[in-house]
Amino acid sequence: MKEPEQKLVVPNGWLEALVRKLRVQGTRVLAPVERDGAVDFREINSADEMAANYVNTRVPLKEILFPRTETILEFDQPSGGDVVFSGVEANAAPTIVIGARPCDLSAIGVLDTVFNWDYHDTFYGQRRANTTFVGVACREADGNCFCGSVAGGAGENEGSDVFVRPTADGALLEIMTERGKKLAQSIDDAAPAAGKEEPLPVAATEERFDVEKIKGWLDDHFDDDFWLDVSLKCLGCGACSYLCPTCHCFDIVDESDWRGGERRRNWDCCSFALFTLHTSGHNPRPDQQSRCRNRLMHKFKYFVERFGRRACVGCGRCIRVCGAGQNIVNVLIDITRAEAATSGSA
Amino acid sequence: MQELTAQLREKAKELLDAKTVDLVIGYGPTGDNGEMTAVFARKPEDVEKLGLNGQCFRNLAVYLNKPEVRKQGKPAIVVKGCDRRALNVLIRERRLAREDLHIIGVNCDGVGEPLMGKCKFCSVHNPEECDDVLGDQIEMPAEDGQFDDVGEMEQLSGDERWKFWSEKLGECIRCYACRQVCPMCYCKRCVVEKNIPQWVETSPHLRGNLSWNVIRAFHLTGRCIGCGECERVCPMAIPIGLINKKLTKLVKEEFQFAAGMTDDEKGPFSTFDLDIDTDKGIL
Ligand code: SF4
Ligand code: SF4
Ligand code: SF4
Ligand code: SF4
Repeated sequence: MKEPEQKLVVPNGWLEALVRKLRVQGTRVLAPVERDGAVDFREINSADEMAANYVNTRVPLKEILFPRTETILEFDQPSGGDVVFSGVEANAAPTIVIGARPCDLSAIGVLDTVFNWDYHDTFYGQRRANTTFVGVACREADGNCFCGSVAGGAGENEGSDVFVRPTADGALLEIMTERGKKLAQSIDDAAPAAGKEEPLPVAATEERFDVEKIKGWLDDHFDDDFWLDVSLKCLGCGACSYLCPTCHCFDIVDESDWRGGERRRNWDCCSFALFTLHTSGHNPRPDQQSRCRNRLMHKFKYFVERFGRRACVGCGRCIRVCGAGQNIVNVLIDITRAEAATSGSA
Repeated sequence: MQELTAQLREKAKELLDAKTVDLVIGYGPTGDNGEMTAVFARKPEDVEKLGLNGQCFRNLAVYLNKPEVRKQGKPAIVVKGCDRRALNVLIRERRLAREDLHIIGVNCDGVGEPLMGKCKFCSVHNPEECDDVLGDQIEMPAEDGQFDDVGEMEQLSGDERWKFWSEKLGECIRCYACRQVCPMCYCKRCVVEKNIPQWVETSPHLRGNLSWNVIRAFHLTGRCIGCGECERVCPMAIPIGLINKKLTKLVKEEFQFAAGMTDDEKGPFSTFDLDIDTDKGIL
């Protein structure tokens, strides 16, 4: 939890008015919208279009900054001439995102780290700079949410530009950043908080395992039958990674006709056998146990070592989407049990 | 159900104890909600993890294609009637040899809550040609109207169908869960992964998605046994099963053929037989 720069109180109806104002100004507004039973971020013109009840969106927040596919270069060879390359601008229209969840916002921090590590990714960076995130505390979680075990839980404000805590007759807004302050100027009827507002209770996401125990066990168990046991049922698809808010691997492909075409960046995933296949035919991760292990190690060990934070925020999407019924919480609980058993015997 | 679970455990234990098989691929409850997922019993004591109930909708046949599973040795596998059909296709396509497999059939009166669509039209409630069968014989006539949804789609104009599929397939994120769960998608290197030349664009844009989903359906024509797994696992809820169903209907009408009814059947697109194929064709 971070101390907000400013706290404001707004009456019911504030959101409707804000969206109206932003749309009149021509600002792009994205919010969770339900279509055919699935809730995803889509452009809205009015707050009425927003989904009333949703635990989280199907596709994670990351897609707004790191889309599933995007063109990063175009090339063309006019008849007989040289190949001409042309750069492509990131589609980075100023955007306000309303209704993002604490887990997904915390995941943006993970993406920030990666996309500004040794190279500043311009496509990501431009969109990031032009996007304002309005996060909302979760009043409901489902059985697969486990943010309380790995991240700040359902009321975490970190990562939001403005964080909304619904109250009985409106909301308490926590203004977290400069971008948030700028947005707050468009909010009508906002009064400074008196300090005795009572936000409605957030969803209970109690701790289901002790996350501090995970890394120690991973450090010592690269080679272990555990990985075979947990991976046999995995099908090796991309569902869990593509829909994970922190997974950020991508593939680069050229698509062209006989004369010209484009270079694209697409989501990729370490669960695929092809992911690490070398041209020689050698595959350093030759089986699903090494691939499942990598996905978990990356989130709970390698990322921690490199960047000092975990790369899992407990959104539970990988559990919801897995066709094989793989469940990362069960795997993590098993690890903490194994850890307890080893430390107990030591 | 409890009785079936007990019978299954006993059978599995006997097979593992006697080393008739090296592993038993079955179902078992996992996690807090007891979801029935694949269980791989490799030691006699593992059989306690096995179970059977009306939620065993997964088709475990896919695991017989996974090198990691094959490495564990000779398998026994728990199958419902529909899953048994998948084994027939795998055997007729020489993916598996019947004698390398111990089949534990389970007579099944349908799975899922509510009952899955495929179960209403099922004609194989009692799997045949198994090494063991659990449960009582089921008498349950298949309902009519198996292809009603395909019929509705056929009623639409070309433009309407194009709009429908553009919207639906436009959502595909190319996670390939549909392929990975399908027992018939066993190619070591899928056509979508071949890039010299690139046959199918891998980007999740409509053009690439159309090529992908259509080529996959083509490759399953006369092979898909309608287990519905591809559609079930699709995280974007794309009704891909409907494309396969259309082709299943065509194969039924044109060739009077349904895939996986026996293990020596002649598949319409994988058989070259001068006596059957009297068309001059291009050769
Ligand atoms: S864990 Fe599930 S979603 Fe992830 S790769 Fe394996 S089968 Fe696919
Ligand atoms: S690993 Fe799973 S629970 Fe963790 S952030 Fe990714 S999708 Fe969410
Ligand atoms: S295409 Fe779908 S329904 Fe047909 S066999 Fe494969 S997974 Fe089953
Ligand atoms: S499972 Fe669905 S989203 Fe994934 S590749 Fe298949 S059709 Fe596309």
